[in-house]
Amino acid sequence: MSAFRLEARELSKSYSGPPLFSNLTFTAGPGLTAVAGRNGSGKTTLLKILARLLAPERGRVGIFDAQRELSGEERRGAVGWAGPDLAFYDDFTARENLRFFRRASGLPADDADLGRRLARMDLAAVADRRVGAFSTGMKQRLRLAFALLLDPPVLLLDEPAAGLDEDGRAMLAGVVAERRAAGPVLLASNDARDFVSPEQTIALAR
Amino acid sequence: MKPASPIARAWAVCAKDAAQEARQRIALASILFFAATALTLVSFAIGPAGFAREERATLHAAVLWILLFFSTATGLPRAFVREEETGTALALRKTAPGITVLAGKTLFNYFLFAAIAAVTVPGLSILVGWEIASPGALAVVLATSGFGLTVVSTFLSALVARAGGKNVLFVLVCFPLLVPLLLSAIAATVAAAGGGTAAGGELAATPLRVIVAYDGAATCAAYLLAAAAWEE
Repeated sequence: MSAFRLEARELSKSYSGPPLFSNLTFTAGPGLTAVAGRNGSGKTTLLKILARLLAPERGRVGIFDAQRELSGEERRGAVGWAGPDLAFYDDFTARENLRFFRRASGLPADDADLGRRLARMDLAAVADRRVGAFSTGMKQRLRLAFALLLDPPVLLLDEPAAGLDEDGRAMLAGVVAERRAAGPVLLASNDARDFVSPEQTIALAR
Repeated sequence: MKPASPIARAWAVCAKDAAQEARQRIALASILFFAATALTLVSFAIGPAGFAREERATLHAAVLWILLFFSTATGLPRAFVREEETGTALALRKTAPGITVLAGKTLFNYFLFAAIAAVTVPGLSILVGWEIASPGALAVVLATSGFGLTVVSTFLSALVARAGGKNVLFVLVCFPLLVPLLLSAIAATVAAAGGGTAAGGELAATPLRVIVAYDGAATCAAYLLAAAAWEE
């Protein structure tokens, strides 16, 4: 059983106007944490803060392996993130994109391994096609491959089913089922169908 | 599994930028076009004659660095701006720390600067009849000054990437920061090229010391501020 957990303490964030959320505190252990809320409630912002892509106004986020808090590069590699804002290099193929991100992360980029990762997302047939020519659904599958690229124990998925067909949704359900057994999976969505028996729900309301 | 060294990760960023440039050829084409146009206009304007030999040495050095500065100002801001504009900045931020990305992009821009200098220096020499007494000394001046120019330009690119009016902002912020370097580079270039005298060129100690000190200070500042400039 994984000992990884994500702890958020008194997170607050606002842009112009009233705060999106304030003093938000929760702990996500292994299992599925649903992040629910209407459009504009701050789901995407919250997941970006948890991924350290955005700074909160107040509060802090910690990733723990048992009692030890991760820091620096260890922490960066421990959290996988995919969101609607995630874009890739259009001139590169799907394989080249993943290869670059593995190398920039300091990990080896073995072609066979990359092939397996793309095949898992049903992208094997288009692995060597430019990402600029990808459909919305294919880009979404590549986002999932990116989130899983470093085999992170903590997974943050923002609207992961957007643009996916039925096969894609089934593939996503399989990934979530597998990963929630291994560590915390936080999934933000407007669609309640994406949350299959979550261990906890964080409801954002503005 | 032991992760690769920061140098290997920075090299991956540099190689990615080089591969992108090889496919798009936007930065290199725009920089070289600017350099070629400016070079042609300057050569027609000042020509090989019309000034005393001593005056020409200073004029040629000044023209060279004006060309190099504006050529780099045309292309180097793209380092980080392109990542923001195409939306790939998030993936890059998620993957590598600011200092690694900055080092990789600085390295690529340094190669770009070398390519510009490789075209501009012989071009200027031929078109305006600039006799360079010591090409070796000039190469040292170009290498050290180009390093400072590249570090500062790349760092500022990271700083202005998310701002509005980024291209204008880049030049406005760049200019005062680079003036000390450019003045020293001109003085060192005059000495390296022979200073208009018939004697061989040499490395002028004082401006070269200033350039090396500037490079060191710029590198330290970029290293310390990379995370603040690029990450949230």
